[in-house]
Amino acid sequence: MIADPSAAGDRGPVDLGAVGLTWQPSGQVVLAGPLQRLFGDCDRGFTVLAAACDAEPEEHPAMIDARALQAVDYLTSFPHLATFPISLEASKTNLAGFVADGPMDPTGAVRLAATAPVRQVLTPAACYHAYVHHSGETLAAPRYLTFRNTCFRREEYYEPLRRQWTFRMREIICLGTRVEVVAFLARTRAAVDALLHELDLPVSWDMATDPFFQPARNPLYLAQRLQPSKHEATFGDLAIASVNLHEDHFGAAFGITRDDRPAVSGCVAFGLERWLFALTARHGADPANWPDVTAAAGRAAAATAAAPAAGAAAGQTAEGAW
Amino acid sequence: MSSDLSSALCSAASAGLIELRTWIAAKARDLPPEGLTDDLPLLAGRHLTSLHLPELILLLERLRREAIDVDGLQAGDFQDIRTIAARFLPVAAPSGNGATQ
Repeated sequence: MIADPSAAGDRGPVDLGAVGLTWQPSGQVVLAGPLQRLFGDCDRGFTVLAAACDAEPEEHPAMIDARALQAVDYLTSFPHLATFPISLEASKTNLAGFVADGPMDPTGAVRLAATAPVRQVLTPAACYHAYVHHSGETLAAPRYLTFRNTCFRREEYYEPLRRQWTFRMREIICLGTRVEVVAFLARTRAAVDALLHELDLPVSWDMATDPFFQPARNPLYLAQRLQPSKHEATFGDLAIASVNLHEDHFGAAFGITRDDRPAVSGCVAFGLERWLFALTARHGADPANWPDVTAAAGRAAAATAAAPAAGAAAGQTAEGAW
Repeated sequence: MSSDLSSALCSAASAGLIELRTWIAAKARDLPPEGLTDDLPLLAGRHLTSLHLPELILLLERLRREAIDVDGLQAGDFQDIRTIAARFLPVAAPSGNGATQ
């Protein structure tokens, strides 16, 4: 049983400078010392849950091809979140002009000369790479994968550990039939619930939609409202994990098939900095009081494995059970 | 309300329901052997997908002659023809389990 989620609401952020947090107002953090170790502990905990799914680990690059992202309408759905890597047009004249003019203006902005065409986007969510990497595959069995990436999302404002331009996301995904993916989501959500219980983190699970640009006529936004496919574990007012059913959106776009049909996909995502916020808001700034997340994940995975039938069966028979 | 006006409204509503059924029948994929029925789960069954939704909303707005506030849409509003008709074409909600093909 998860504790009353309202209990999280009155716990504000604690001062974490002494345990290794340095905030950069551009929307980024440096983690060192105890807080960096807690970060590593959280990620190891999530990989324990991933291992319980037999998820294969992968490492993906920081940038993703813009054409691949646009194949699933990312740039039209989320142009306000996108961050692009740019470089200067490479002619000697252009580069010499850049240097001669002085690269920086007095406000700290770069005085750009001509830029080269932009063909990449800085990773907005960890799992996009997987669908691109596995494009064209015919799956003989469900496939489970896990990876962590630094993600980039431009926001209107930033807050340490809660809303950042760059943050780390761990994901566990399944590609398979709809029954296989829904069962995976139910199992993994049960494991996340068990982990939250072990860590004494009170959350509520809420239906959610992604922050679409001009959502009113976006088919994906409409689908999320009418056929909820995204559920978030919310600590106070902060979503720290989400469970997402993509149907065959990615399978169809990237030619991934299972049982002669476009594969269905689903993912469970963890925002690592947000878990640091939740854990320190709940247990305070003294590392001596922080839980052992890896050990807790081991117990959660064992408990979920010992009672797999309820979650898996629910996932196979009930919409929204995950 | 006069009986003539009531009759005219019912007639328009029935025409709207027929047009809704016809539109969905033309767009739906992987229909079961019994065909499209008013209680066939359209989104959960993947007979309609997200790509159909904007056009379906435009159709409903035309049939009801009123805009739909998409922020007011709720899970299940487009569950099946019966639910759509009851929610968006109130006087046209089918009472039986009509099959359209």
